Amino acid sequence: MAPVVASLVEWGDLLKVVWVSLAAGIGVTVVFALAIVGATGMVDNSREGRRFGAAASGLLLVLSLALCAAAIVLGVVAMTAK
Amino acid sequence: MDGDVILVIVVATALAFDFTNGFHDTANVVATSISTRAMGPRIAVGYAAVLNFAGAFLSLAVAATIAKGIVEADVITPLIIFGGLIGAISWNLITWYFGLPSSSSHALIGGVVGSAFVAAGPDAILGDGILSKVVIPGLVAPILALVVASLAIVIVYKVVGRLRPGPVSRGFKAGQVVSAGMLALAHGTNDAQKTMGIITLALVANGTLSSENFEVPMWVIVSSASAIALGTYAGGWRIIKTMGSRIIKMDTAQGFSAQGAGAAVILASSQVGYPLSTTQTITGAVMGAGAGKRISAVRWGVAGNIVLAWALTLPGSAVIGAATYGLTRVFGTGAAGPLVVSVVALVVVGAAFVRRLQQGPSITAPAEA
Repeated sequence: MAPVVASLVEWGDLLKVVWVSLAAGIGVTVVFALAIVGATGMVDNSREGRRFGAAASGLLLVLSLALCAAAIVLGVVAMTAK
Repeated sequence: MDGDVILVIVVATALAFDFTNGFHDTANVVATSISTRAMGPRIAVGYAAVLNFAGAFLSLAVAATIAKGIVEADVITPLIIFGGLIGAISWNLITWYFGLPSSSSHALIGGVVGSAFVAAGPDAILGDGILSKVVIPGLVAPILALVVASLAIVIVYKVVGRLRPGPVSRGFKAGQVVSAGMLALAHGTNDAQKTMGIITLALVANGTLSSENFEVPMWVIVSSASAIALGTYAGGWRIIKTMGSRIIKMDTAQGFSAQGAGAAVILASSQVGYPLSTTQTITGAVMGAGAGKRISAVRWGVAGNIVLAWALTLPGSAVIGAATYGLTRVFGTGAAGPLVVSVVALVVVGAAFVRRLQQGPSITAPAEA
């Protein structure tokens, strides 16, 4: 029974769903968490007068948000491409 | 003439199913946002409706699977599709009435398979297609969503663990506006396409489209998108409570992780044409986000009831679909059968709504965060 089922599965499609889901689901969530780290770091460093720290945190915030936005746009484009 | 009347009834029934699908699945899409208070209920539901509409235009891969990969298009008649649709709608309303988040997609596939089996025998069923495109992805998707959401939340807690809780909560609450939007978009693209596929199948069965090489007409796409969006806006408030607060009580980071995982799995599956159960997938993601924080946070008993509802969906809707086809054929192969069954179905649905309204709203206060 199991070999018959295995032969019917389109493994290429199924594996694509698995890796895309893992990469997008975990990747975007973690990168967004880094954006929050950047935002709080920027506020805290600015308040304490640490310009370099504030700038570095700001950069982390901007890069993280840009990555999240890029991932969303890429996902929508990939959906409409087929 | 009779054929055209039956086709009109089938298209209207398919759009009614699409409406109940949106109505039934509103909870899946908005429950996490409401339970974490990222959005108010009315705004969340309106937002989900708009993005459900937009999502329906993203892809047609799932519609192609429904139209070509579940039953033999050559032996299907509009009456068979009608029986399947009534089976699916009935199952959706029964589970809505009892507040169970079962799968509209499996109800639709079960209904059509049951009706086709009774009408044309086992040869009408594409078992390989159902197994490879429905059953196996249907088993994999909720587990995958659970794994993705639980891994994501574990890493997120490590990343933001040393920060003050207030800014973290506010940050993820803002992020949930986007993740809820992506989830609604994903839901629209997968679920609206099922109705598009069914209407296309009916057009092929009626001879309106050629069975050799057919595409989904634009009017089918627009009407399906509109029906699911209206159904979503009407909202299934009763199920929101089960999805949003009875499985786990979430913080905003968990809500974001659950919505992100659910959207990722549904969008990836839609891209390869899997007609997924969005209900099962999102529930898997919600449970994963809860288990990633603390295994005991998940109310596994409630989750068990939901699993039971899922297990009953395919056979339950298949039996109703088969019975509906049999009842329709009592009146012959003309339009009389679908007309009589439609009137009976409308009376039953109306009575269920009145009874439901007399019992009052199920949710009177937002769930605790």
